[in-house]
Amino acid sequence: MTEKTELAPKVALGHLFWWFMFANGGGLAALVLPVHILVQGVLGPLGIVPVVDRHYDTWISILGNPIVKLYLLVLIALPFFHFAHRLRYLLVDLGVPAAKRAPAQVLFYGGAVVVTLVAVWVLLTTAPISLG
Amino acid sequence: MSAEADSTAHVATRVYKPAMGAGWWTRKRHYFLYMVREFTALPMAAWLLWFLIEIQRSGSVRTFRPGTSTAFVIFSFICLLFALYHSITFLSLAGVIIHAKVLDRPVPPRAIVLTMFGLWFVASIVIGAVLIGFGR
Amino acid sequence: MADKRITIRAARFDPEKDKAPHLQSYDIPFSDDSMVVLDALNYIKAHVDGSLSYRWSCRMGICGSCGMTVNGTPKLTCSAFLRDYWPRPVTVAPLTNFPVVRDLVVDMEDFMQKLKSVKPWIIRKREMPLGAGEHRQTMDQIDDFRQFSQCINCMLCYAACPVYGLDNKFLGPAAIALARRYNLDSRDQGTKIRLPVLAQADGVWECSFVGECSVVCPKGVDPAKAIQQTKLDTTLRFTLPYGNRE
Repeated sequence: MTEKTELAPKVALGHLFWWFMFANGGGLAALVLPVHILVQGVLGPLGIVPVVDRHYDTWISILGNPIVKLYLLVLIALPFFHFAHRLRYLLVDLGVPAAKRAPAQVLFYGGAVVVTLVAVWVLLTTAPISLG
Repeated sequence: MSAEADSTAHVATRVYKPAMGAGWWTRKRHYFLYMVREFTALPMAAWLLWFLIEIQRSGSVRTFRPGTSTAFVIFSFICLLFALYHSITFLSLAGVIIHAKVLDRPVPPRAIVLTMFGLWFVASIVIGAVLIGFGR
Repeated sequence: MADKRITIRAARFDPEKDKAPHLQSYDIPFSDDSMVVLDALNYIKAHVDGSLSYRWSCRMGICGSCGMTVNGTPKLTCSAFLRDYWPRPVTVAPLTNFPVVRDLVVDMEDFMQKLKSVKPWIIRKREMPLGAGEHRQTMDQIDDFRQFSQCINCMLCYAACPVYGLDNKFLGPAAIALARRYNLDSRDQGTKIRLPVLAQADGVWECSFVGECSVVCPKGVDPAKAIQQTKLDTTLRFTLPYGNRE
């Protein structure tokens, strides 16, 4: 044991927040992602079922809907906070203690923030908002 | 150790500190499955990034390109397997983390897990119906 | 009964002579089907090699003293039956993730400090006067924390936890389960006081829910559950309005 007096522990609000985002992102991804991958990634491309993103006209009109934009924003952005947290700790598990420190946190959580901002931009600039 | 060792000194003359290698997770099945679970984040992130790019490419008819290649289907299928593993593990473990009381009686974890899987089923049906139903 | 024998490979480490532990093989009679690894160690010490050092006490799975790594898994040696390993050799090593003092004996100091740090006792805002009598508690209230009170401090969970193995600063399963035992106790009013220790950077957040701690726990405490529930409760405390109050 070292001799130096240690600072009193305090609640790590940062860790709390990122864990909160991790839990929410993971829950959403768990409930909603598989069906998107199945339908849009497998069944649609194989032509087994018609899918909304296969034809330009259908897809663009759907993308114009603001509720759809909001759904897609949450669908894409929120899980990235789950991925960021999990992948950072995956690095820790693989024996990279630097993944615990501040620069790594900025990299991973900042990355999720960047994806969020990019998603906002993409959704706002692709297909003008139209109701109907 | 000397016979007249100081009773307050618990420090050994020398201890051996074992080093934990980075391959700890290869030595036990449970550890390995844990790493697989953690790894699922990567393929899921990749697929969502593809999706974001697909949305971006929908900006104009020229750039719009829905996935069609065999490679894309294989990629999606692999991501699907990882996404399923993520869902199964995440929703099962929700029963451990969520503790709720109804009328002063603790809700059994099995009920919570069943509710989670039920939600997953309902969400999948609804979203699937929307994705397919609007795909005329 | 036929002359059955079994090989025990025990880790030996003399801090004054050795740089690192090495295995020493002992071939001993496996005379009774109910023999456990601890019996084998006791036989070795009594009849073969008196210098073998290890901890043990109750030999019935309640004191938590005899935890060691048996064929790669943290186990109470008093509960590890030789018949489950025979005829293969049984490798007995000190509990992983702890500094080795000698042979199969590890330095427990970090564990003891962690237990103490969560203030594992009833904390009251104001003590009731003796004349008021005892704290009353229903069976349901005891059931709320009963599982987490079963811990025998055997440290198998710390040996199984890769997070602790990678970084000894992690608070660890037993300490967090013990804190939860008191936080859930209806007599206790100390949740807020334990909060900084539980929710510090090296506290519950470092756990990535491997779950091996609960797998190896000989008493069914399920420390993994305690940790995850603490994460959720702590988060709700700060995200729900009026959450952060007793």
